[in-house]
Amino acid sequence: MPGAWILAAVLLGAAGAALGFWFARRRQRNLESLRSRLVAVTQSSRQTGDNIAHDLRTPLTRLHADVETTLRSEDNEAHRATLERVLTEIHGMQNIISALLTLGQAEAGGMPVKKRVVDISVLLEEILELYGPSAEERQLRLQGRIAPQIQVEADRQLLARIFSNLLDNALKYVPANGLVVLSATTKGGEVVITVEDDGPGIPVEMRDKIFERFTRLDSSRTLSGGAGGSGLGLSLVKAFARLLQGDVRAEESRLGGAAFIVTLPAATAGSSRPAP
Amino acid sequence: MKLLIVEDDVAAAGLLKRGLEESGYAVDLAHDGEQGLKLARAGGHSLWVIDIMLPELDGLSMLKALRDEGRGAPALILSALGKVDDRVEGLRAGGDDYMVKPYAFAELLARVEALLRRSRSFGGGPDTLLEFADLKIDLLSRTVTRAGQKIDLQPREFSLLECLMRHAGQVVTRTMLLEIVWEYFFDPQTNVVDVHISRLRQKIDKNFSLPLLHTVRGAGYVLRVDA
Ligand SMILES: Nc1ncnc2c1ncn2[C@@H]1O[C@H](COP(=O)(O)OP(=O)(O)OP(=O)(O)O)[C@@H](O)[C@H]1O
Ligand SMILES: [Mg+2]
Repeated sequence: MPGAWILAAVLLGAAGAALGFWFARRRQRNLESLRSRLVAVTQSSRQTGDNIAHDLRTPLTRLHADVETTLRSEDNEAHRATLERVLTEIHGMQNIISALLTLGQAEAGGMPVKKRVVDISVLLEEILELYGPSAEERQLRLQGRIAPQIQVEADRQLLARIFSNLLDNALKYVPANGLVVLSATTKGGEVVITVEDDGPGIPVEMRDKIFERFTRLDSSRTLSGGAGGSGLGLSLVKAFARLLQGDVRAEESRLGGAAFIVTLPAATAGSSRPAP
Repeated sequence: MKLLIVEDDVAAAGLLKRGLEESGYAVDLAHDGEQGLKLARAGGHSLWVIDIMLPELDGLSMLKALRDEGRGAPALILSALGKVDDRVEGLRAGGDDYMVKPYAFAELLARVEALLRRSRSFGGGPDTLLEFADLKIDLLSRTVTRAGQKIDLQPREFSLLECLMRHAGQVVTRTMLLEIVWEYFFDPQTNVVDVHISRLRQKIDKNFSLPLLHTVRGAGYVLRVDA
């Protein structure tokens, strides 16, 4: 990524130079804005790199210590227990890497999107049904306020991943006895789907940042009950929403907690037929 | 029973071979598409495990050639991560199931067994009555009984049980259940499937002395009569 920016900067610089003197001021502005973008990109990618290294080093260090200690023991049971932990750690690292690869692919536009007319009302009801028992187990009330027969032109799997991620979060971050509401309506040519709760919410200054890779609120890091996470879920949500020509933002919910608002273009009359 | 693995990553293929052999299968190994084609044509395999990205001849072309020759062994396609389109392409080329790398061996084994069983029971026509121990389900009337006693299930619980019954005696993974019962090809972080299963278990096992639905740690679920 930074490579492409540097190349672009060089090309633009060269082209600019050829444009002559009276264009110089404008060129300078271009170069200036390009330079600041370049700095921002390199910084963010360096930060991302640091985070990946950190996110993988922590489990690797744990693995290393665990395996080393176990190797010194002769106990078969201990060996087995270690191997099981090793498997869990590997699984976690694979998830991080998968999410990063998917993100890279989605953001670079390399991800094939199978767009069909989807009745998103039906899909959301299905997701509610899928998450219902888990919410109940965590003593959360999960409610749906979904207008019927809302059609979007989208990829069913990507849609499901968006709302599955948002509900995963609600289940993780809303304390017991809380309320989570999934609602959907159409406004103009837009479909608006909201996942909101009465949990701790997202502080104003974090509402954009939260969609960046590896961002987690400090309060979540220290959350009891092992609510682990790598801070990639919402970046995926954003990337998927954009792949579907939509977007997502965080606000404060009327319920007092976080509201994640996903907007998608409504399907038009001329859209392709629903999947058989 | 003999299986064919076509996988160019020598280390991965070796581990896979060892795992499958430990599970009681004989395994032939090929490291490129041409060699795979040759071995598959020689015949005798009950199932093919084929990686898509292969030197010489890619996995999909290889599979397509075999299907065009009328060879019908079930094929499990493996593909690198993130190629969403591969699923469709793989199934179109004649694959029967599809997995994304990196996969867990338990997941692969479960799928291999499901495919082998499906191909064995081929030709029997679609069953509308499934039975396991004293559990019976009727797919037409969508009713369930255990020891003659009627059990009320939610539609989704019924589909879960149907899936487990079709693979009775074999491990069915969470990922397989999400794919078959919900048609989602990704894994949520929350243990959504586990909770649905525990509700199903409440209904089919709770009032009976012999438990049928078991959890296999790190793998999934199985319907089994434990000795
Ligand atoms: N509903 C919510 N209420 C409060 N905080 C939330 C909520 N959803 C997300 N957050 C905060 O936003 C952060 C980023 O969420 P994101 O889904 O990107 O990552 P994560 O859940 O920490 O990890 P994962 O990659 O496993 O999803 C969380 O760590 C949490 O601090
Ligand atoms: Mg998350």
